[in-house]
This record gives sequence, C-alpha cells and structure tokens, in this order.
Amino acid sequence: MVAVVTGKDLEKYNLHWMPTLMSDTQMVLPTDTVMYQAQEVAAVIATDRYTARDGKEAVRVEYEPMTPVMDPYKSMEPGAPVLRPDKPGKTDNHIWHWEAGDRAKTEEVFKNADVVVKQHMHIPRIHVASIETCGCVAAYDKIENHLTMYMTTQAPHAIRTVIALVAGHVGLTEEKIRVISPDIGGGFGGKVPVYPGYVIAIAVSFLTGAPVKWIEDRSENLQADSFARDYHITAEMAGTKEGKILATRFKVLADHGYTDASANPSKFPTGLFSIGTGSYNYDTAFMEADAVYTNKPPGGVAYRCSFRVTEAVHAVERMTDLFAKQVGKDPAQLRMENFIKKDEFPWKSPTGGTYDSGDYHAGLEKAMKAIAYDEMRTEQIELRKQGKLMGIGISTFTEIVGAGPSKDFDILGIKMFDSAEIRVHPTGKAIARFGTKSQGQGHETTYAQIIAEELGIPAAHIQVEEGDTDTAPYGLGTYASRSTPTAGAAAAVAARKLRDKARKIAAYLLEVSEEDLEWEPGKFFVKGAPDKAKTIQEIVFAAYTNHPQGMEAGFEATHYYDPPNLTFPSGAYICIVDIDPETCEIKIRRFVAIDDCGNIINPMIVQGQVHGGLTQGLAPAMYEELIYDEAGNILNGTLMDYLVPTAVESPSWETGHTVTPSPHHPIGAKGVGESPTVGAPPAIVNAIVDAVSHLGIKHLEIPVTPYKLFKELKKVGYFK
Amino acid sequence: MNTTIEKTFEVTEPIEKVWQSLSDPTQIVTCVPGASLTEKIDEKNYKGEVETKFGPVKVKYDGHIEIVELDESSHKLVLKGKGLDSKGKGSADMEMTGILAQEDGKTTVNFVMNISIVGTLAQFGSRLIGDVSNQLMKQFIENFKAKLAGEEIDNSMSAGGMVGSIVKSKLGSIFGGKKEA
Repeated sequence: MVAVVTGKDLEKYNLHWMPTLMSDTQMVLPTDTVMYQAQEVAAVIATDRYTARDGKEAVRVEYEPMTPVMDPYKSMEPGAPVLRPDKPGKTDNHIWHWEAGDRAKTEEVFKNADVVVKQHMHIPRIHVASIETCGCVAAYDKIENHLTMYMTTQAPHAIRTVIALVAGHVGLTEEKIRVISPDIGGGFGGKVPVYPGYVIAIAVSFLTGAPVKWIEDRSENLQADSFARDYHITAEMAGTKEGKILATRFKVLADHGYTDASANPSKFPTGLFSIGTGSYNYDTAFMEADAVYTNKPPGGVAYRCSFRVTEAVHAVERMTDLFAKQVGKDPAQLRMENFIKKDEFPWKSPTGGTYDSGDYHAGLEKAMKAIAYDEMRTEQIELRKQGKLMGIGISTFTEIVGAGPSKDFDILGIKMFDSAEIRVHPTGKAIARFGTKSQGQGHETTYAQIIAEELGIPAAHIQVEEGDTDTAPYGLGTYASRSTPTAGAAAAVAARKLRDKARKIAAYLLEVSEEDLEWEPGKFFVKGAPDKAKTIQEIVFAAYTNHPQGMEAGFEATHYYDPPNLTFPSGAYICIVDIDPETCEIKIRRFVAIDDCGNIINPMIVQGQVHGGLTQGLAPAMYEELIYDEAGNILNGTLMDYLVPTAVESPSWETGHTVTPSPHHPIGAKGVGESPTVGAPPAIVNAIVDAVSHLGIKHLEIPVTPYKLFKELKKVGYFK
Repeated sequence: MNTTIEKTFEVTEPIEKVWQSLSDPTQIVTCVPGASLTEKIDEKNYKGEVETKFGPVKVKYDGHIEIVELDESSHKLVLKGKGLDSKGKGSADMEMTGILAQEDGKTTVNFVMNISIVGTLAQFGSRLIGDVSNQLMKQFIENFKAKLAGEEIDNSMSAGGMVGSIVKSKLGSIFGGKKEA
C-alpha cells in the first residue's frame, strides 16, 4: 500500500473541488458531505490491483444518514433541503433557466387552435456504458517537472487545458503537460468530462514521482460516471383539424444530479434542444427549461447524441404522432403534408436555428417504399381482426451537428473550431494530424480519403494521427458528430492550400503560367496539352529539391476550420413491431433507416455508424434506464440489471440513404454518427403505441418493457 | 428500498406465555437471524448487531433497538431498529409490530415488518430483497416457535443456505410448485 487519499488531504492543495465543463463545481473527494450513493470518498493507492482492493476493504467510513432529494419536482418545492450550501447565497436547488422562441405568440396560437395535444414524458437517465471504462496513467517526472497523462479521453487538448487551469498553481503549466489518448474502447460522450479519478492520479503522481494508474471497474463506471438525459418534458402541439401543425410548446425540468457536469457549449445549457421544432414547417414555438440539483451523480453528457437532440427529437416525434391520431390522419401522410420543402432551405426555425439543407419528402418516400408501407397498413387491419398486435412507427427527424461556429460555440471559453495539419514528405507520402480523437469512428480511413480526394495522393499513403497533444494541432475533440463537419472540413481546406502551392510549383516546373494549368486528381497538366503534366509526387519532391526561388520550401499546411453554420442531417425511419398478446414480448420485425448525411465519404463506415447508432437507439427505447429509489439507492448498478442490448436483441437493420449536400461545408458532408441514436427511439415507441392504440393506449414511457406494457394493457382492461 | 412483510400464525401456547417471550427483548431479538444484543442502555433501549451475508456482500449492522410500544393490555409490541454497517456499506431501518390475540386457548400471532435498506445491499440485491426478507421472516417465526417450545435455537444465518433456499423457492414457483404465502 502506498497511500490513502481523502478530501481533507486534497484540501491542503486546494484540489478537493474542481470545475465542471459547465462552470459548475464538482467534488474530487468530499470533505464532509457525500452527495450521492456510490460517490468516491477516498482513494487507495497501492502497488497492485489486489492490494488496492484489500486496502479499499479496510477503509472505514461512518455515514450519518441525511434525507436525500431524488425527485426533481420535489427538489424545486419551497422548503426542500438546499443541496449545495457550499455555494454562497444559494437558497434553493435551481441551477438555471433557459428559453427559446416566442412565448406570447405561442400562447396566442395555442389559444386559437382547433386542436391541442399535450403529453408529459420522461426521457430517463441512462449511461453510455462503453465497454472500456474510464481510466488513466498519470506519470509525473520530478526531474523534468513534466506530466504525461495517458487517458481515455475524447478531447485530449481540452483536457490538457483544464489540467493546466486546475493544477497551474502547483507549477504544472500547460507546456509541461502532455496528454496522450491512445485507442479508445468506446466513448459516446462519457469520455469528454474530467472525473475525480484523473485528478487524484495526477495529484498522487505529483507527490510521489511514480506513475499512477486509475481505472474504473464496471459498477463504478455505471454508478459514478456522467449519466445522460434525465429530462422531464411537458410537450404540447397545436394545429388545425385538417392536420396542419401550427405551434409547439415544450417545458423541461432537467435533473442534473448534484452538479451540472454536462459537456455542452457554454451558451447552451440545454445543448441544441432548440432543434425540437422538428422537420416541419411552422413558425411558432416556445421552449423553456429549468435545471435542478438532486442527490444523484453529476452529468448530463451526451449518449451518442449532439447535445440534448435526442430528448428534443423524441418529444416532437411523439407529439407529431399524437397530433396525427387526434386529427385522424395517417402519421406518414401528416408528416408529408407538414414537411419543410426542399426549396424552402435555408430555413429559419422559430427557435433560432438556420437549417442548411434537406429533402425530407424524398427520405420518407424511400423509407415507405422500402418497408411497403401501404401493404403493412392493410396487414395491420387483418391482424387486428385476428386479435394480433402489430404496429408501424415512423420518425422523420432533423439532427443538428458540427458544433460549431465560433461566434456562438465554446467550451470553457475555447471556441469550437477544429484543426488539421498535413505534412507531405519528399517522396509523396504524408502524415496528417487532427485535433479530434477517433473512438472507432474510422477517422484513419475517412480523413485519408478526404485528403486523397483533394490532393490526389493515394489514401494508403496517408498516415492519420490523433490524440497526442504534443504533436497534433489544437482541437476540441470528437463528440456530437462534429469530426467530419469540423476537422474533416479542415482537412479539405488544408489540402486545398497545398493544391494551390502545388499549382505554383507545377507552373514553375512546366514553365507556364498558373492560369494555363488544369487539375485532375493526382496531377496538373497544361490546358490543351495533357502530356505536359507534373504528378503531385513530382511536385512534392520539387518542393524539397527544386522549389522556386522566393517560395517557402516544404509541403505542409495547417488549417483551423471555423464552421459558418451547423449542419443538419436528417432521416426517415420506419419500424414494425409484433407484440405477443399474452406475454407482451415486443419483437421488432423490421426496421428501415434512410439517412441523409449529405455527401458520403465512405459508405461502409457510414453504414457501420448507422448500425451501432440504431442499436444505441434501441437501448433507451426498450432496455436502458438507471433506476433510483426514494432513499437514493441505485437499483440497477451492474450490467446484470442495467440492460445493454447486444446482437441478440438487435433486429436486422435495413439501411439506405438520400444525399442532400450541406451547402456550406467544403465537401458537402454533414456528419452521421449520432443520427440513428436520435431517430430510432421515437420510431420504435411510435410503433409500439401504434400496435396497442386501438385498445385505448395513447402514450408509453421509455424504456417500453414487456412488464410496463402489460401494466398499461391491464389498466385499459385488455388483461383482466 | 422498502419492503413490508406481514405474517399471521397460530401457536397452541396460552397468550400470557407467548406475551412473555414477545415482550422480552433478550428473547425476541435473538430470534432474528444473525442478530444479537450487545448492551442494554435502559428499559427501552438496547444496542445490538446484525450480521448478514448476501451473495458476495457481507454486512454487519451496528444497531440501536428501541421499544416504541409495549402494551400488555392489548398485547402489542412495536420495536424499532436502526443499523449502520460498520464499513460504510449502508444502513437498515426496521419497524416490527407484533400483536397477539387469544382464541379457544390458542394464540394468534401477527407480525408486520417494515424494512428499509440503503446502500450496497439495496442496490446489489434489489431484485431479491423481497425474497430475502420473506426468508428472514420465516426463519424468525420458526425460531420464535422453537423458543416457545423451550428448544435451543441457532440464529446464525448461513448465507449459502439462504440464497440456496430462495433459488429453490423461486424455481418452485416457476415450475408450478406451491408459492410461499
């Protein structure tokens, strides 16, 4: 055993609290009060894992029980215990209030509308549960006064800056810190924040001079890491009796646990929830949200979704179905009639965004054709006559990714650009480095392809490297489907800078003027004389061996790409479910996903992303939820009880795409990693509700488990 | 994690004899599987401990037992127990009400146990906590009956046995066996 560290020990160095990415504060280790079950209270440092475990068993903690506040609504009530008395002047548990849209106009439209549908829904607390947990090795070198931090982070550069901000006062300044993020076994948003374990590892390594490893076990990961979601939404939609959507109104209560440890851009406490007006053409909406503290773990990170988009999409897609039902229209037809048309882009949403492009009609048509929509509706009528339960569910969502333009988007003040640096060696082979960090998204392939396309060097000759802050250019990392929209764009622009240089060198070598040259991938040739040409490899060689006088030697370019707008991928998903009328077992018979992520760089990678994303959409729809009881116990803190769907539970996904390029992105790409996670849950739930709607069920809360469905069917008298 | 269990059973002993055992903490507490009294503070307050094991989780609750109500005329006893695991794994609260009634020389005993568990045990055993409590109650009643009959009782709790018998009763109810009341 080497050491046991408590909050009191850290307090001596002012390291017992740390800032969150949302400028709230979080305990590294508590000094007097524990805020939630499974919170870390002491760290045991030992020379091997077994000894550390034994040491942990020997730690004695005396807890004095307090009354926990678990329900966010109760947390808002006057007289509720104030959970954060450490904050000067804090007299309640309210964290922030946010709103978007026009409150007065929305009230007016709702007052005069023929039809108003209203539904309360909870988007439960879930956990990304990546197979590899969070961990690090902090290696402080006393002689060099240098820290090397090997860690599983999605945002190595931002983490380096945060470490420097937290530990600068003990002499660990930013040039003395190197963060290396090697291959990562899944991130999904859970590996963006700073966790107490990182800080403790650094502190102990700093004091002992020995490298310190911290790695979570599965239960610690599930119980103490950042959660996702936990939005209580009261949603309303107003429209005409003919089925025209006129307005939406969402009121959100956000349960943030004991601190707001989300990883949203600073100005967006609810992330990009304002996308909740959906894919539909109406000009009136109002949304508001309040965040509160409860005695649960901190967080509010993404779960493979771009900053609270899943919550928003779930609300609007459920409401669209409820509205269709209310006016007696087929949900597909109602969507078709309300879609924003492709020539109406760029389209200004009533809550502030400007959608770049889309063709929603084409997407839904393609999905309906693939699933044989009309035949399915006919079959449904037949099956109902036989007493069978079958449902068809649609979700036609708009995503919002690629954060983001520097005028609005920053994390802890750092603007959300991203970067690429390309170095082409004399022999025409290249290394390209990025500020992002792949966790299995295949950046090594797609970035190389972008550069290959722009520069004509074979993709196989381009080495892609990320995750080492000493070598890669600064960037904000990979999450929120931002890599292709930002760093992918940076790669294209940097490659174009090199192509401009190549043109100059080619003109010099061929003794013609630049305007006389024409480019085809791989070479410049003289207009009208295609044999008079120089390949990119010859040009690059010349950049090192025979460059024009007055020109800078070498063949390297860097670009920091600041996107002019976000990108707006979309999708049309249709799901068919069969429900066992006796056991309530829910089986997904078919699931068709038509995605539009703009120009596709690598179809196979996109397909892989879509498959993974759909499975992580199935998860919250039917399986995953972190459950707490009133006393504050987490009731499913292991993977035995917290159900992560596997290949066994997953249906055979049928995927396809339409292509509507982004007009403002250098290569027209939009990003895709998270679209399926965002779009799948409402398609699945809409299908399940559709299967039992004729029995009097209008809404089901996710995750829809067989037992939950059984109870609801019992309520409406289906089961005696 | 809250659970309430109620059991009613009959013994052939006269009510006064049963009340004697019920109203004496030194007798009644030792019928609780895994429990022992360590100190008497006053007539109404005792210190004790409960040691129990559930799968890999072993908890030892250092507890305080308070007699909230002891009414000889209505033969009613209300006990409150509060325990804190000595290693910080959580706490348990228990309220037990025992009421006796007389009928044709026999005594009807009614027990209501309200158990609330916080901590590792609660999250670890959330799915089986009801079954565990039922099992504890069953063992408690057996011990109580044995005590009345003047037999020696063994109130140590064997964890393996407990989980094993729960598995058996679960399987029994799945495969059509008689469900435990």
